[in-house]
Amino acid sequence: MTDQPAADDLAARPFDELVAELQRIVQALETGNLPLEESIARYREALRLHAAAEQRLREAELSISQLGRGLDAGGEEETAAADSDG
Amino acid sequence: MVNDSDQPTLWGAPRAAPRILRVTDLNRRVRALLDGDPALADVWVEGEVSQPTYPPSGHCFFTLKDAASQVKAVLFREELARATVRPVHGMQVICHGKVRAYEPQGTYQVYVESLTPAGAGDLHQQYEALRVRLAGEGLFDPARKRPLPRWPRRIGVVTSPTGAVWRDIGNVLRRRYPIGELVLSPTIVQGPTAAGAIVRALDRLSARGDIDVVILGRGGGSLEDLWSFNDERVVRAVAAAPMPVVVGVGHESDVTLADFAADLRAPTPSAAAEQVAPDLSTFPAILDRLRDRASAALVGRLAERRRFLAAEGRALTRLLPDTAALRQRTADLVDRGHRALLSRTGQQATALVGLADALRALSPAATLERGYAVVRLADGTIVRDPAQTAAGELLDVVVARGSIGARVDRVTPGTEELLP
Repeated sequence: MTDQPAADDLAARPFDELVAELQRIVQALETGNLPLEESIARYREALRLHAAAEQRLREAELSISQLGRGLDAGGEEETAAADSDG
Repeated sequence: MVNDSDQPTLWGAPRAAPRILRVTDLNRRVRALLDGDPALADVWVEGEVSQPTYPPSGHCFFTLKDAASQVKAVLFREELARATVRPVHGMQVICHGKVRAYEPQGTYQVYVESLTPAGAGDLHQQYEALRVRLAGEGLFDPARKRPLPRWPRRIGVVTSPTGAVWRDIGNVLRRRYPIGELVLSPTIVQGPTAAGAIVRALDRLSARGDIDVVILGRGGGSLEDLWSFNDERVVRAVAAAPMPVVVGVGHESDVTLADFAADLRAPTPSAAAEQVAPDLSTFPAILDRLRDRASAALVGRLAERRRFLAAEGRALTRLLPDTAALRQRTADLVDRGHRALLSRTGQQATALVGLADALRALSPAATLERGYAVVRLADGTIVRDPAQTAAGELLDVVVARGSIGARVDRVTPGTEELLP
């Protein structure tokens, strides 16, 4: 059960939650007052979170959509010259 | 002034000598001349800005020129802050100010008090009037500005779908924040119908209810090109949007009223894209550092437990009873007990002998042995006084080895002379 690098429950969670959770665990581990068994369990969780977040970044591709295609943008468009600045 | 003296000179014939001025005197004279001209104290001059510089002093120095001539100009920090546009190279402007000489350099320049884009006199007045009115309503108050979400899920973009701005925003976010979702709400961004279209495009995003932040962007252009972003409807729509709006319009030097109303003003559309989301391009390294910290913490924890257990082990060994020492102590105790017992019996034996002697000394037998006798009456009473008896009475005389029955012959009181 801990061999699954990025289990389904993590795949469904937002990226920033994965990172925040990972940061929390690292801090908890670093304060060092957890029982040993719990430290090990938390560490396993940290590895899962790291793998899930890393995979998410690796596979991320900016999703792009458009509302009301052409609406209000059809007729009178700025020229490329007028809009040349980034 | 001319020196009128006609003293002889080295060159012979006396003549009117020229008055020689120091440079400082000359410059002071020129300055006084310019200062004395009321027209130069209040001039309007139109020209093209050339090579503006912005040194750390905060002032702006530039050259104002037309096809044939040029003149130096300076816009001091305070005036620059009030100006609605920053002078940029090539900009056609009308400057209002005064002309003065700068004595140390022997130059004169235009000290600009206000500067407006040329040909925009009407527009500029409209802009100022609207700015003052909306500012009076509090539309531009810093307190109204909302913080941007740190991790936006959906980023709305209001701009032209065909321009470079949309392409650039996509590129920036694809590189920096690929986990996001871009939603383009297309609009025209210039022309008489642009303001209404921009408002509608913003409304479409607001209506979705799932947009975390909006970029309103447009590339650079003339003041007229950017005019839609000074339209009151657009400014109000930006201020009223339910989600934070980042406005990035034109170049750094262009400040539209929409910029004032925005929750964040970005100098350009690309900068707006950089400011709406964190840069994740560095995140793999950050994630790896977090994982390494977790590993280090666990390794440290394990090492600490191991040290702890080792220390506990040593403590336990110290706490175990030392049987050899115990055995020795037991043996010692037995020995001591034995010795104590022996010495006690010795003492008691000696004591017993003493006691026996004492007892013996106290016994009447010993006294009898020494030759004394005990005289008793018939009823057993011991006779200590002759008066206890009378002549003819029977007495019992006890000696060491037996008793003698005797009859009293005579009775004589007193003892001293009787004893041997």
